[in-house]
Amino acid sequence: MCLWLNFEKNCVATLGICTNKTSSILTTEAVNRPFLYPVSKTCFRSRTSARVKMKRSKGGGDEEAPRHNGSAGRRKADQQQSDGDEGGSDIGPADLQDDDNDQGLRREIRSKYRDLISSVQQNREDMLSPSNNKLTEVLEEANKLFKDVRQAREAALDAQLLVVATDLGKEKASQLFSEGTAFDPTAFAEHLLSFMGLNRLEDDEDEQQNTANGYLPQDAWHRLARRAECCFRTAPSFHYMMGSFYAEPPPPKQRIERQRKAPSKEAKRIMPTQLKKMEESQQEATEKEVERILGYLKSYYQDDPTSPISYYEFVIDPSSFSRTVENIFHTSFLIRDGLARMYLDEEKLPCIGEMILLCPSQELIDAFDIKDSIIRPPNTQND
Amino acid sequence: MTFGDSLPFMRCVAMTQRKRPSSTQSSSQRRHTGNLVAQDEDDDATFTQPSTSQVQRGLEKLTPAQVDQKTAEVVQYFLVKDQKKMPVRRADLVKHVVKDYRNIYPEILKRAARTFDQVFGLKLVEIDPKNKMYILVNNLETPDKASPVRSPSNPKMGLLLAILSVIFMKGGVVRENLIWNTLRKLRVDPGEKHEEFGDVRKMVTDEFVRQRYLEYVRIPHTEPIEHEFRWGQRADAEVSKAKILEFMGELHEQDPKTWTQQYRQAHSLPNSSQASTSSSSQR
Repeated sequence: MCLWLNFEKNCVATLGICTNKTSSILTTEAVNRPFLYPVSKTCFRSRTSARVKMKRSKGGGDEEAPRHNGSAGRRKADQQQSDGDEGGSDIGPADLQDDDNDQGLRREIRSKYRDLISSVQQNREDMLSPSNNKLTEVLEEANKLFKDVRQAREAALDAQLLVVATDLGKEKASQLFSEGTAFDPTAFAEHLLSFMGLNRLEDDEDEQQNTANGYLPQDAWHRLARRAECCFRTAPSFHYMMGSFYAEPPPPKQRIERQRKAPSKEAKRIMPTQLKKMEESQQEATEKEVERILGYLKSYYQDDPTSPISYYEFVIDPSSFSRTVENIFHTSFLIRDGLARMYLDEEKLPCIGEMILLCPSQELIDAFDIKDSIIRPPNTQND
Repeated sequence: MTFGDSLPFMRCVAMTQRKRPSSTQSSSQRRHTGNLVAQDEDDDATFTQPSTSQVQRGLEKLTPAQVDQKTAEVVQYFLVKDQKKMPVRRADLVKHVVKDYRNIYPEILKRAARTFDQVFGLKLVEIDPKNKMYILVNNLETPDKASPVRSPSNPKMGLLLAILSVIFMKGGVVRENLIWNTLRKLRVDPGEKHEEFGDVRKMVTDEFVRQRYLEYVRIPHTEPIEHEFRWGQRADAEVSKAKILEFMGELHEQDPKTWTQQYRQAHSLPNSSQASTSSSSQR
């Protein structure tokens, strides 16, 4: 078909193509004889009427039966160089014979047509590439198939193939039309990948393999975005420097409150039985502590009975204030119970010592001449 | 059937249906916002542009401080709306910000445009005269190399650049399958969730379209339904075709002039980016 051959040879043929679903009209001025190939199921007549029409228009030029228009037109164009008006070629012989073979043959034809159609649709990008003639091959294949087409059903498939092929042809034509270099999205994608820093693996067997070899670095798209900034005049986004505050209370706090509420309820229920135990244990703990401190005091005295122990040195815990306070608290029990005594040494510094005898606390009161407590008890403070 | 007589007519029909690579300047004016989110035009329909005399009378009744305050509110509204790069509709602006001052709306918008220009270096652009939508565009010259400010870059812009480049180099309109296939070659599959972009198809056909970077229009009479991509109005205003061609030249190691059609298109206008002028005269 000379129309398509012109493409592959890269001649610029002025052509106008209009394709839509129901009709495709090919006009070529190169041939200088427009032929029309209305593709629609309604145009197909039965075999006999078509043959009759073919015979009528045998000598003529433009008038051709719609059904065989395609093949006649195509063959006409093929023979363009050699014969001028070779009209309707030989459709006549061996049409109605062998109906049994027909069914099988027809099925085969239909299946081949469907294969061709799907191959054009699947390999669309491949066929678009100006470097190959695959589209022509498909059409030549279709021409061969069409020779055996007798019924409307197969012809409809042929028409469908032509719609798909002309669509592709139109795109190929637009590639030709553009002056200068054509733009190939595949090559563009490859270059972009390199730009983004694709690390290709060492072995490239064949370039057509096109499988994913290599991996893109993490910042691949960021690299491209940075380059994009030069092409875009985007207004920088406006944000408060210190961020904004949230008007609603943050959800996590509510969750914590709920969690706390749940255990406290349980605690209340079992408190009556547990509380006594807690009180007892608290008392026990204090007693144990007091005894422990008495033990320390005794051991110091055993080591060195004569030298006094500075009170401050005894109670102060240099690393923890709270423990110091606890120590003072527990030591006070010792003094209350008369197991220890406090006195001032020569330098008027308080010292703590053991009491050999259990003395009532009255002695201490007399010794220190304590008349009144310095720390007022709580109930008198509200006066 | 004879077609010989009706051939000139058929040829005319064929020619009108032939799709030329349209120059985006002319097509932007007769662009239909077919696939965009349906817009509530009630408020806008009731808003009639006040005349100059009405504006004058309105201004006389207000103190300069009040007008300045209202202008500042409009400026802030735009700046916050621009964070997501969504265009601002006049109807929303009047309803939420301008409110009672709608009788001096043109004056407020003029002052806001001046503020954007003088204070922020931004340009207020009306991208859709029919639906009255505005965007903010950077008025300063784009740097030749990457910006000296090390602000975090948005990878979506990289993807957008790839898509816009393909559309431009292919004449301004491409079928969606070409875009999807190109993205697949870039390891971005619209059918799968991408680790950086998430739902790619949604981002390209929904987010970019709402931001007006792309147009995603259905091709009539296709079964199954197919769409085509074009540059959106924001892309027309923000993106420089010349710079894209420069980038192509770098990638392919060719002189940008070898793509003659695209070069002509990129350099045919005084500014390489075809921004419609600011809104002081158009509303």
